[in-house]
Amino acid sequence: MTEIEISGVMLPMRESLAREVEVAWNRLASPGTWWTGAERLAIVAEARAIGAGDCGLCQQRKAALSPYTVAGVHDSTSDLPPAAVEAIHRIVTDAGRITERWILSLIEGGEMPALEETKYVEIIGVIAVLTGLDKLHQGLGLPPRALPAPIPGEPSRQRPAGAKRNLAYVSTLAPEDVGPEDPNPYPLHGDKNIHRGVSLVPQEVFNFFDLDVELYLKDHEIRDFEHDFRAISHAQIELIAGRTSALNGCYY
Amino acid sequence: MTDDGAVDSVAHGEILMNLVAVVHGGNLGEMASARRAVRENMGDAAFVDACATIASFSAVVKIADGAGIPLEDFKEEATRDLRAELSINDFQS
Repeated sequence: MTEIEISGVMLPMRESLAREVEVAWNRLASPGTWWTGAERLAIVAEARAIGAGDCGLCQQRKAALSPYTVAGVHDSTSDLPPAAVEAIHRIVTDAGRITERWILSLIEGGEMPALEETKYVEIIGVIAVLTGLDKLHQGLGLPPRALPAPIPGEPSRQRPAGAKRNLAYVSTLAPEDVGPEDPNPYPLHGDKNIHRGVSLVPQEVFNFFDLDVELYLKDHEIRDFEHDFRAISHAQIELIAGRTSALNGCYY
Repeated sequence: MTDDGAVDSVAHGEILMNLVAVVHGGNLGEMASARRAVRENMGDAAFVDACATIASFSAVVKIADGAGIPLEDFKEEATRDLRAELSINDFQS
């Protein structure tokens, strides 16, 4: 165990969780597969600003029964492309009502210049990691962590040749289609649909699940009811998981 | 997850559900007492792991919804009756 200080009180934290939190922040600031480190942190900053309720358009859409009928301009804090801003705002504020049609409109272009599908998927990964990190701090009673400095470098820009749009709204990489040049997260983390969600950008699978298995459980631990892996029981973990998912409107 | 029986059947279920609710809702005024209840009744390590679980399931929904992944066949079969009863298939993810 290591310790974290919260309001002058030292609380125990598993060393593996503390380590993956640091790894996750480093990866958010590092060049990704399709966005630079500076751009990834701009996505983080944009997501945080929306989370604070700073976008009037998002508030109107959130309140609307038909959110795709509400047009307007987002209150943006970044220089990211308009389609990236639109993606970030929807994923942060109204992810449960995202449609395949909307995603296709982003990546095919029309009202605004197209956003590459790979870049959209990397945005999902960045926001998912950020949400885990910030929600952990919020629960513990810690303020949001200050953004690190971006780490220079260029994105690797490697799209898996075997990726296909045959499972989800976005293209995914099936385990049998992983090529020798592709990072392969499946042996480590499993290959259920949730692991395949952002597999068009395989590094994002690592980025999210390396953190998530420490926040929650490793895939093989989830149904190992002979052992407890945390300071709370399986039943307590699943009760929290079910309620949190319900409040977030997640029925996956 | 609104069945009080399910909450009561898990040790400290009620105070854990309260923690989930206040963290999700972001009500600063209620957070301190919700955190204190978990720490005093379950210990500091349990409090940290409870917060980590909330963080995990607040995050993973972004992947499920953002990518539009479907439910696996084995999950669909195992939950078919329950999902029909709740009309849960009317929702997207």
